[in-house]
Amino acid sequence: MKNHLKVLRQDRGWTQGALADELGVSRQTVNALETGRYDPALPLAFRIAALFDQPLESIFIPYTDSALPSVQQ
Amino acid sequence: MTNNLDSPGVSAGDRAISRSYQREFWSGMIAYFVILAAVLLWGQLDGDSPWRFVWAVMPVLPALWLVVALLRHIRRIDDYQRQLLLQGLAAGFALAMLASVTFGFLAIAGLEIPGMAWIIYSLGMLGWLVTSQVVKYR
Repeated sequence: MKNHLKVLRQDRGWTQGALADELGVSRQTVNALETGRYDPALPLAFRIAALFDQPLESIFIPYTDSALPSVQQ
Repeated sequence: MTNNLDSPGVSAGDRAISRSYQREFWSGMIAYFVILAAVLLWGQLDGDSPWRFVWAVMPVLPALWLVVALLRHIRRIDDYQRQLLLQGLAAGFALAMLASVTFGFLAIAGLEIPGMAWIIYSLGMLGWLVTSQVVKYR
C-alpha cells in the first residue's frame, strides 16, 4: 500500500529516526513504511494518523475500485 | 530523492532497545564462559564420577538465560522487526530440523557422524544469521 508518510515527515523537517521515536518504532520500520515494503497494523496506522492529525485515508492510499475483489450480490 | 532527513542511522528508541538486549545477551555470554571454564577446570568430564553429568549440563543454565533474553527482546521490538526476526528464526529452525532428520536417518543406516549435535546447532545458527541479513537488506 502506498502512502504519503515521507512527504508528511519531510514537511515537518523530521528525520526518519525522529519519526520512529514519535511512533515508538524503529527507524528501519519507518523506512519500510515509506518505501511501501510494510503495511502497518491498525494500531500503528492510527498512531500515524493521530501524529499527523489527518484521517487514515489521506495518509494511506487505498486500493482503487478496480483492484478490489468483486462482491457477489 | 533523498536528503539529509533520510540519512541512515538508528533512533534513540532503537539504541535503547539494542542496549537492553546487548546488556542481557552479554551478561548471559559472560556467565556461559565463566561456567564453561569452571566445568573444564573442575568438572572432570572424562572421569567416572556420576557428578560429571551434572557438570556437563551446567553451561546450559546461562544458555537458557540467552533464550529468555531473546524472548524479552522480541517483546520490545515492533511488529515489522518481529516479522524480520521471525523469518530468520524460521529458516534456522527449518535448517536444523532438516539436518537433524538427515543425520538421524544416516545414523540408522550405520553412519555415525562425530559431533553431530554441534553440526546441527551450527547449521541452525547459520540459517538464522544468513536469512536475517538477507531479509534486512532485501
